[in-house]
Amino acid sequence: MTPEPTPSSGTSSSPVSPLERIRHFPDDVRASFVRYQTTGDVAALDPVIYAILNDYIPNKPEQPLSSFPGSTLLIEGLGFDSLAITEVVFFTEELLGITIANEEILQVRTLDDLRGFVHTKAPGRKSV
Amino acid sequence: MPRLPVITGLGFITSIGNDRASVVRSLRELRHGFERHTFFNNPALAVKVAGTVKGFSFPTPNWRDWRWPDTVQVDRELVRGLAPHGVYALGAVQQAVAEAGLTAAELAGGDTGLFCASAGSPFLLGAFLDQMRTTRGERGNPMGIVSSIAGTLNFNLAAHYKISGAVCGFVSACASSSHALGYAMDEIRLGRQQRMLVVGAEDMCDESILPFATLRALSNQADPDRASRPFDRQRDGFVGTGGAVALIVEEAGLARSRGARVQAELVGWGQAGDGHSVAASHPEGAGLAEAMRRALVDTGVSAGQIDYVNAHATSTPAGDRSEALALHRVFTQAGAHPKVSSTKALTGHGLSLAGAMEAAICTLALSEGLIPGAAHLAEPDPVCDGLDLPRHTLAVQPGLVMNNSSGFGGSNVCHVLRRAGA
Repeated sequence: MTPEPTPSSGTSSSPVSPLERIRHFPDDVRASFVRYQTTGDVAALDPVIYAILNDYIPNKPEQPLSSFPGSTLLIEGLGFDSLAITEVVFFTEELLGITIANEEILQVRTLDDLRGFVHTKAPGRKSV
Repeated sequence: MPRLPVITGLGFITSIGNDRASVVRSLRELRHGFERHTFFNNPALAVKVAGTVKGFSFPTPNWRDWRWPDTVQVDRELVRGLAPHGVYALGAVQQAVAEAGLTAAELAGGDTGLFCASAGSPFLLGAFLDQMRTTRGERGNPMGIVSSIAGTLNFNLAAHYKISGAVCGFVSACASSSHALGYAMDEIRLGRQQRMLVVGAEDMCDESILPFATLRALSNQADPDRASRPFDRQRDGFVGTGGAVALIVEEAGLARSRGARVQAELVGWGQAGDGHSVAASHPEGAGLAEAMRRALVDTGVSAGQIDYVNAHATSTPAGDRSEALALHRVFTQAGAHPKVSSTKALTGHGLSLAGAMEAAICTLALSEGLIPGAAHLAEPDPVCDGLDLPRHTLAVQPGLVMNNSSGFGGSNVCHVLRRAGA
């Protein structure tokens, strides 16, 4: 097996397009991300946030994450641990080209906190 | 009565087969696991052969691009923290646990420990550090450390199997998994553990193998049928490989009480340093000879009682010569003439994996009734005169076998295994 040049790698330094980075997400999520890219509407990132959470949640719940109340706690309610949180943060940083500080992570406790935080940090038109 | 460690389960992901039956067939028929391979996509490189692991693919550092056979159960939550050799290891452990008649849940009690050996994943570590350099340290994959550094195997397997007994990784290069097995024996003999899971593994990746070309240690033979020729006069270096092998080692009484099939008894081991060179073996094989003697003393048998030696011989000119001299000092000079072969002629050299892989092959020799032949041996080096190197695999059930391993810095380890009930 020869490791080939890695344009699609999530861990290599090769430039990876955002859409390539979320190539494993469902089509409707990818379409929503394209809408964000083209319109700058950060609200279009919500399905992407749920897809990222779904990717890294240690134990998948039976119902979709989007059906949980916004006040649901990420750690106590959904079972995220500190390692999974760091993976969500890293993926979000890479996807949106932003940097998230440790102090900012500590402020995010619920689904709504996370959505609001990403809306604030993401470059684009803020939702009203 | 002293506590006796016995082997009740084996698992193989190797260049010569991804299960026990395939490995046994390869040993009986002397089928090697080598293919032409273009390292770093550079056809100009002189090294052209590798011991490939079939059915697995790791084309990028991103686990989403990885593929493995359906027979290996790897869930997505786990794979994120694994190196390629961690995926191999899961496959091997799953086989070994099933063969031992255990469930994964039975490993979770504190009576079971886990000793592992791998060099980590230069493939993933390189990609991880490359990313950090590119971002000037501002960003990095949170799983980058645990998936890539030496210890990644024990980190992942201990967490996945909820091991609460002794957990440790061993780093002595090509003797690593032999150290893991030796100390696992001691854990059982000393009564500290009832059962040990021992795993050796390495990535089959360019980044793990080609660096050995800088030491001029790899074969430049382009023909897979001739590249690995331990003890042959024309040998010119080793063929690298990866994969994983797992062994379930239990206290004999426990194995008997639960009706497990004992495949071999681990009756002694020894180790000794060369005290000579950081990378080259002692020219007279001094440390290896001493390790063999210590293993014989620990076992309480004489050289003449050993039926077969699975040599470390990797097919390098200097290393094979020093091992041949060590074998003469321990066996020939004592009037003993065990059969000798290096199964690296078939598998390639698995580095940290090698010791566990060859201990498992010794277990197959004892339990399946075979003595592996010295494959690809056309013209034995004259230094081997007096050593009994069978050209074909013998349908003979040995009673006592020895497994040799040597690593960088002159670490030498030897195990002695006995046929169950002999």
